[in-house]
Order: sequence, then structure tokens, then C-alpha cells
Amino acid sequence: MSTILEELETTIAGLKADTARSNVGTVREVGDGVAKLEGLSDAMLNEMLEFPGGLYGLALNLEEGEVGAILLGDYKEIKEGSEVRTTGRLLSVPVGKGLLGRVVNALGQPIDGKGPIKSDVSYPTEKIAPGIVKRRSVSVPVQTGILAIDAMIPIGRGQRELIIGDRATGKTTVAVDTIISQAKLNRAAEEGKIKHHTPLYCIYVAIGQKNMSVARTIDILEKAGAMPYTIVVSAPAAESATNQYIAPYAGAAIGEWFMDNGMDALIVYDDLTKHAAAYRQVSLVLKRPSGREAYPGDVFYLHSRLLERAARLSEKAGGGSLTALPIVETQAGDVSAYIPTNVISITDGQIYLETDLFYQGVRPAISVGISVSRVGSAAQIKAVKQVAGSTKLDLAQFRDLQAFAQFGSDVDPGTRKKLDRGQRVVELFKQIQSNPFLVEMEVVLLFAMQKGYFDDVPVDKVKDCQEKMADYFRTRKEDVLKAVLEKRAIDKDLDQQLQAAIKDFKSFYKPN
Amino acid sequence: MRTTKEARKTSRQLLKLSLTDGKLDEHKVNQVVQSVLTEKPRHYGEVLKDYQRLLRLEIAKHHAVVESATALNSNLSDLLVTKLKARYGDDLTIEFKTNPTLLGGLRVKLGDDVWDGSVRNRLRTLQEQI
Repeated sequence: MSTILEELETTIAGLKADTARSNVGTVREVGDGVAKLEGLSDAMLNEMLEFPGGLYGLALNLEEGEVGAILLGDYKEIKEGSEVRTTGRLLSVPVGKGLLGRVVNALGQPIDGKGPIKSDVSYPTEKIAPGIVKRRSVSVPVQTGILAIDAMIPIGRGQRELIIGDRATGKTTVAVDTIISQAKLNRAAEEGKIKHHTPLYCIYVAIGQKNMSVARTIDILEKAGAMPYTIVVSAPAAESATNQYIAPYAGAAIGEWFMDNGMDALIVYDDLTKHAAAYRQVSLVLKRPSGREAYPGDVFYLHSRLLERAARLSEKAGGGSLTALPIVETQAGDVSAYIPTNVISITDGQIYLETDLFYQGVRPAISVGISVSRVGSAAQIKAVKQVAGSTKLDLAQFRDLQAFAQFGSDVDPGTRKKLDRGQRVVELFKQIQSNPFLVEMEVVLLFAMQKGYFDDVPVDKVKDCQEKMADYFRTRKEDVLKAVLEKRAIDKDLDQQLQAAIKDFKSFYKPN
Repeated sequence: MRTTKEARKTSRQLLKLSLTDGKLDEHKVNQVVQSVLTEKPRHYGEVLKDYQRLLRLEIAKHHAVVESATALNSNLSDLLVTKLKARYGDDLTIEFKTNPTLLGGLRVKLGDDVWDGSVRNRLRTLQEQI
């Protein structure tokens, strides 16, 4: 009992209710989620302003005698002449592991009906990205579990890789599959099945999407058991443009906490086209001068300051990382539009998804020719490097020759061989949704392809052969898979083991 | 109607002309208004409207509003006047208001700054902390 009394005493002693100076202003006009305020001579940029009824706003425009603020909530109660005061605080959101498994809005408040969030730390939504001294180069891979990406467009922890494509080409699916893959790896590491794996926590930021789409994504993540390692920040189309504008920054703040505490996190911004549109709306209502396509002049900075916050920190700075996967939607495949070119120039590479490929049944519909990762093979383990090195070249040659082969049936044996190999690589890279591969399985499949073990399999049976080969390795050659994972490189001994195992499989495999 | 950039610039210049040693000069204000009305420059209606707004804000900088839950006795109000004038200059005008929603204490507003020592504000601060 005495301890409770002591605690109460310290709490009361800590309370302060002194007279303090505050800076106030009055509402001159309000509408469309934006208020024009008179007074507030001491207001700072991005400072939180307190409106009557506990509503908060964010000071975005500081002019002589006038402040333009965006309102973060229901502003119907705000009237002309209402008093507004500065708070001296920046907009911040709760952060920490307590958010894992939760769905929050742009202000970090829970919207999943699972009760309050357990968090006693909060981070400002706007923060300057880590400088060059605190950073180091990207070298640890993010295993997306998508064979085509891991083999040809590897993503490293701390990298920013853009996912770009037209509507309904599988952009969100690529991002969600990556999250599911991380959850599987995290769980396997917790159970002691894999060693040397640092968990990668995921944040999915939904901006301007339909509520139904967000609910579907959450459902997929829940069914795949990925939610315990994932945080969803949702600012759907029904929310105000101001909340959609803030949501990615809130997500980045949540991710930064993991990075600052020596952990690794991955953040998906789905999507930045809608984010730019929301910012355009806010800017136009604030009467900021508009430029190309009516976007304000600082739309590049809007995304560059967000994506620069993704980084891999040096050992001295904690060694954490934040990987960003922004998504951008194009119109009729036009990558030269304003927002796509901006984001392409900011990121460290892009995965381009094509509608034509999607409808040809190549899913994920990754266009190898224009997809690139500027980090390159630095973000691959040695074994993948050894087996995937030639795949991109094989596939690029195949695409070139494919166009020629259409004109005549007579092609020389060398060209025929390249065409046959290319067709089989395309088949191998087809992958169903929510079914990520483990890295050791990717090595086995790519090894078999490189050594020509798929060459005698009919093209339409490549998928069947691949599945059965994977089953065979999982059930009967677990030791080989383990060896791949432990050695992380293919030496002479492992090469022989792999060849022997594949030959054994091929001896009884009959395409049905 | 939104004031044009040009009109705002002119009104700011007019305000500068209306000051003597950084303080608003009533005589100069009259002169400025008269000359605008006789010369009628471009957008002069907008200019005068914005000039009026700037004057209002300038006057508010030297006008204190003291709010209390009940009317203050003359001793206390005189003390407040002396102290405020000593701090902010003799040209400060002071207005006393009663506002029962404050519950107790004083709230002084000068320009955009507010010193809120009212019971209502203290209770709210405590509520936020708990």
C-alpha cells in the first residue's frame, strides 16, 4: 500500500500547471480540410496547432499575418473566429514493437478494434534522413521469395526499389508476397530452423486505396500468418487528403524506430501516385502556386525526403536498416509521366510490371529488360550469384531472338538452343501468389536451369517438373538444402551433391 | 475576394509610412487614407481593405485584454495597468472583461500572445498530464 502512495506522491509532484505564455490566432476561413488563420506570429513550420474541441492541425504555410494549416480530423465544428493556439510540438506517432500486428491510421491511432496500442515512445513524422556518416553500403539481401526478383533484380536491406506498372499488373501482390516471405523467414529463425537471420519487420502503408482493397490485403497477410511481423498504416480514399498526405511519413517514422534500435524493417508505400494527388489537393486548397500537371513545385522533394529516410546504418549508428518499396501506378505504360520519372530518379532501381506479360500468363509480370536494381549482386548471397549470373543474359538474349524467330522457322542450332532455354526460364519464373520460395530452393532451381536439367523437359511441363523437384528436395534431400543454406556458396563438393540429387530426381521423373 | 499581391505590397508600404519611431501615428494614418482616396491608385479598394487589416493587427499588438472570472477591484486593476505599462510601454491600452467560464485566475491577451493563469486552463493542463 505504501508503495502505491509513494508512486502517487511522485506523480503529483511531477504535475505542473504553471501559467505559461502561448501564441494564439483566430480562424479566418475553413474548408476542404484546410484552415486559414490570422495571428499565430510565433507558429513554426509543421508545428501542431490546437483547435477547439481537441482537434489538431499542422501549420504548412507561414505568411506575413496569416498561417495556412491542414486539419487532422473532423473539422465541421470549427467556426470562423475560433481560437487556435500553438503547441510547440511537431506531429508525432507512437512507435515500437507494440504496433506489430496492428492496423493504425495516419496519426498512429488503432483502427482494428483490438484496443489501445502499448507504446510509450513516439517519433516525429517529419525527420531529416540519416547523413552520409551514419550510413554504409547495402550488402544484406531482402529475400523476397520471388524467384525472378531474387535472381535478377536483387533487393538489399536499406535499398529503395520502386515497383511500377499499370493498374492490375500485380504491384501490390509483389509487395505483399515479399512481406509474407519475411514473416516465414522470421518465424523459421525464431524456431531455430535457420541461423544468421536478423528478423525483418514490415510496414504496409495504404494510401488512397479502397477500403475493400486494404481489408483484402490485411486478410491475405492474416491468412499467411504475416500479421505478427507487420504493421498496417491505412489512409484509404475515404479519409481526408491531409491524412493521405501524412500517412507515408507516419509509416516512415514507425520504420525508423526499428532502424534506430538496430533492427531491420521494410516499408511498402502503396502507392505514391495517390500520395502525390493528395498533396496536390492540399496544395491547391492552400493556394500554393501550381506547376506541371497542377502539382506544386515541391512534389519532387515530397518524395525524395520520404525515400531518403530509407537507409542502412553503420555499426556505430546501431546497424539497423529501413528498406523502402514504393509503388507507382502508370497510365498505359507511360513511365515518362511526371510522378513516375521523379520516383524512378530517386530510387535505387525499379521492378517494371507489364500488362502484356500479365495477360500472357507470365506472373509476376516482370519486364526483365527495363527492370533494374542499382545495388546489383552486392545484395545476393554467393550461391545465388553463382547460379543466377547468366540468367538475366539468357533471358535478354531470348527476348531479342524471339522477335527474329517469328519471321522464319529455320534457325541455326545455337539460336534454337537459346530460344529453348529462354522459354524454360520464363516458365521457371512463373510463380503463384502468396507462395514465396526459400533461398536454398531458389538456388537449387536456378542451378538445375543453369546446368541444363530442364532442357529436355517440354516447355509446358517445366512448372510441373519444378514443383516435383522442389518436393523431392524438401522430402528426400533435406541435407543438401541445409548444406546450401549453411555454406551460402556452391563449392565443388556441393556442386557434385546437387548434380547427383538432380540426376536422381530426373531418373524417375516422367512428365505426365 | 482574394487580395492581389500588388495590393498587399502597397498596403504594407502604407503601414510603414504610418509609423513614427515604430509606433502608429494617428495623424499619419489620416494623411495616408486621404491621399489614397484622392489619388485612387490601382486596386485602391483592396489596398484600403488590407491596410485596415494591418492596422487592426498593429493596434492589437498594443492592446491588452485582461479577462477574469469576476470583476477585479480597483486596487488590483490599477496594479495590473501599472505593471503592464511598465513592461510594454505607456501607449498600451488595457481592456478589462469578465468571463465566468475561466472559473478563477486571470487571462491576459496581448497581440498574439496569451498568458493563461485561469483555473480552467490549469485544470486542462493537469488533465492532459494525467
